[in-house]
Amino acid sequence: MPDGRLERFLKRFGDVRGREARAALSLSAFFFLITFTFYIIKPVKESFLISVRPSWWPYADLATALFIGFVVALNARLLDRMPRRTYLTASLLFFIASLFAFWFVFDVHQKSLVTTPVSDASGILFVLWAQETILNHWTIAVLVFSFWTDIFIATSVTQFWISVNDVFNPHQAKRLVGLFVTGGLFGGIAGSALAALMTFARIIKPEDLLLVCPALLVLALVMVNLVYAGPRKASGTAGDERIGPPARVGYRESFRTFRRDRYLLLLAAMLASAMVAGSLINYQFKTVVKSVFEYDQARTSFIAVFFLVILAVSTVFHLLTTGRVLKSYGIRWAILVAPAFLLIGSAAVFVIPFGALLAWAWVVRGGDKTFDNTLSQSVRELLYVPVAADIKFRAKIFIDMFVNKFSTGLGAALFLSLYHIRRFAYREDPLAVVRETGIVVLVFLALWLVLTRLVYREYPAVLKKDLGQLWKPGQTVVDEHIDERLVREVFEAIQSRERSTTLYYMNVFNLVRSNSLTPELKELLGIKRDELKARAMDSLFDVGGEVFFPGLEETLSDTAFQKEVDLIFLLPSYQKIMDERLGDIAASDSEVDRIEAANSICRMAPSPSTLEALARLLQDPSPEVALYALNSASVHRRPEFVPLIVRQLANPMTVAEAQTALAAYGPGLEGLLARTLRSADEPLEVRRAIPDVLARIGTQKAADSLVGELALRHDDMEPYLIEALYKIRADRPEVRFREKELRPELQVLIRKACDVVLSPPGPPGAVQAQLDIRIRRIFDLLTLMYPREDIVNDYQNILQGTPKSVDYSLEHLDNLLDREAKELLFPLLEDLPPGERALRLKKALRLK
Amino acid sequence: MVITTREQDNVVIFDIDGEIRRTDTVQETLHSLVEAQLDRGRRNVLLNLGGVEFIDSFGVGQILASYISTQNLGGKLKLCRISHKLLLIFQITMLHKVLEIHEDCDRALASFGKT
Repeated sequence: MPDGRLERFLKRFGDVRGREARAALSLSAFFFLITFTFYIIKPVKESFLISVRPSWWPYADLATALFIGFVVALNARLLDRMPRRTYLTASLLFFIASLFAFWFVFDVHQKSLVTTPVSDASGILFVLWAQETILNHWTIAVLVFSFWTDIFIATSVTQFWISVNDVFNPHQAKRLVGLFVTGGLFGGIAGSALAALMTFARIIKPEDLLLVCPALLVLALVMVNLVYAGPRKASGTAGDERIGPPARVGYRESFRTFRRDRYLLLLAAMLASAMVAGSLINYQFKTVVKSVFEYDQARTSFIAVFFLVILAVSTVFHLLTTGRVLKSYGIRWAILVAPAFLLIGSAAVFVIPFGALLAWAWVVRGGDKTFDNTLSQSVRELLYVPVAADIKFRAKIFIDMFVNKFSTGLGAALFLSLYHIRRFAYREDPLAVVRETGIVVLVFLALWLVLTRLVYREYPAVLKKDLGQLWKPGQTVVDEHIDERLVREVFEAIQSRERSTTLYYMNVFNLVRSNSLTPELKELLGIKRDELKARAMDSLFDVGGEVFFPGLEETLSDTAFQKEVDLIFLLPSYQKIMDERLGDIAASDSEVDRIEAANSICRMAPSPSTLEALARLLQDPSPEVALYALNSASVHRRPEFVPLIVRQLANPMTVAEAQTALAAYGPGLEGLLARTLRSADEPLEVRRAIPDVLARIGTQKAADSLVGELALRHDDMEPYLIEALYKIRADRPEVRFREKELRPELQVLIRKACDVVLSPPGPPGAVQAQLDIRIRRIFDLLTLMYPREDIVNDYQNILQGTPKSVDYSLEHLDNLLDREAKELLFPLLEDLPPGERALRLKKALRLK
Repeated sequence: MVITTREQDNVVIFDIDGEIRRTDTVQETLHSLVEAQLDRGRRNVLLNLGGVEFIDSFGVGQILASYISTQNLGGKLKLCRISHKLLLIFQITMLHKVLEIHEDCDRALASFGKT
């Protein structure tokens, strides 16, 4: 099938994209065949196990719990040391051979007949001995078969997920997990359906079902070889070379990994409590089934039908519900569903009558299995996502094989204890046995519920752990290295030297007074001893050339000198003179005079005439005069200047100084600024400059004004408002933003970004540029609703991170955002071909 | 601080030597000396600061008070031979826009005749 058609077909079962299709199909088929085989074997195993005395049941599980560790270690070592393809092939061949051996054992027992199938004398003796042994040790044979079955499924499933890990990255795997689980469910349905049909219709005996399985495993062998014949994410080359982490991975190493990681420990504890509860529920189920079905054929048939129904329900549940629950409610609630259901179901055993026992057992055990196959399985895989690949590799082996089986063993030990302490062997009433076991089940279900909360609490932190900040925001970098105000003052001083020595001295004096005159700056300004050439003094002294002012540096730096200058400004005689003369200077035709006046007013006392002169200078047609006047206004901060300063916001030459002057007024100005911001009569330039002023004031009221304005949704104001809000968030962590107010605006921003994709404004380059800007604004707004640092890290990692950090960022956002936001935002963030992106957006927007 | 008073071309010239600072307590301040001349009907005053080594805000206050008193009576107060340092102070405080300052006392004297 061509890739395109195959992709479309597979899309019905999962989010399959592009070149993933073939590998995804092969892996799904592999999983299908594994579960197909397992669900043929499983009813046989369960039925034969139930047929032995109940006191033996826990031994089967204990044997698994005790010895599976060796198999785990062996499996891990072989996975590490052998080429993956070779190892998987060898293990499948081993299982095929074993199936024939077990069939022979069970056939001999069921026929209760000693035969001589070979004519060779030594062969005859061996076969006779083997047959006699089998007839006398049925329970042992069943226990060995049970152990072998557990090895088969545990090894095969681990090998399958390791293969997934080899071929896909975590985010791909997350998308495809639905497809794989579907493959597994269909395999289980096919297996149990075949087993149910064959046994129910009495076509073949239960043990003969084992002869069907080798054929399926041969097909699985083909799939494995197809998977490893294709390109993989790690190497990108085909072949049979060794894949996987270079580190030696064994049981001990896996255990060490766990011991160091609190999240993995909690995860393991959660899974263990679920497994113990499940194991005890299984004993309850077995007890009920044993009491109802006496014969192997009927029992095997019932169990096969049970698994068939469970898997069918699981499939329907998975297709209709799992994805929706995860998408709508996220892991937070999905993780709770199974333990909550089982807690209620298990508690029901204390109120049901005997007649309803089989139905109850069916519902509770069925519920446990259904969730285990669907929602819990998906949740488990998602919980592994934030774990680093090498740790996950070890964790999977440890949890799936050791923790899993250890918990089963613990469940077995508990049941065995109950069996002997409560004398179950002598109980006629299975209801009493089930109820007494049920008390322990409830304890572990409660523990499971508690642990889900603890795991979820850790989950986002683990996701964030590896997401570092890739770069600092521009403003932060500037603030860290440059004093913008000082730079401006230095430039003003340098420029003023050309214009007027007086202005130059004033500016240098200002620099000195603010303790900003470093040796480097003195060098730059040329005020070092004997270096000053003050041309403007010529007019004063009329010397016809440049003059020197030796000792300027020392004079200006002398604190006594500075103090005296300050005192002069306060002299009553000085103020009296300036009251009379400043108005004339401010109205002078000379721009230099007006600039000097505007500059020095900042040091003068705020007498009526001084303020009047400043008001006049604030309206001066010369931008340079206005700049100095704005600086003086920021010192005096008189309310009557505010409208004059606001007017300067319209001038590109003075807007920055006007913003600084307004910000200097601080709290109290928000109301007036908010009114100006909303006034349609004000020039757009003025309105656009105001958000930055509000951001610098940075009060709760300022933030509220900005959010209120954003809600009016004026496109031409949007970037300025969002930038200002982002600035407040960055500088004032104490300011609170209400998610309820911001959520609709977030939706509007996301939809605008969608419009860029769906109605491209120009060529592809322009579209991407537009989209980048839109996404930046979305993330800026998100910082108001969620922890800022996390959102900034997510944004940076999505923009320029490694594929792994992109995955983690997306997963982090997946857990943070609501469904509506995710549906539209994720197609914009994920690396998708343009057509695919547009298609997903249309689907999310419900457009045709 | 030593202040010598002389008269030339209808201008009272105060030749000031030393430092004008508040810590130098003297019987007669510059302002009182100027006012005494104003009381005598003199209206043109020239402050020769060529011998002044240092001047603090008190000294500047004395000059400004003298300027105001002279100005109030329709007279003229001018300065000559001020130091770089004092000029710097006047520039920073914008007083150079108010006070008439001359480098050379003769030119300052001549300027009285012109106005």
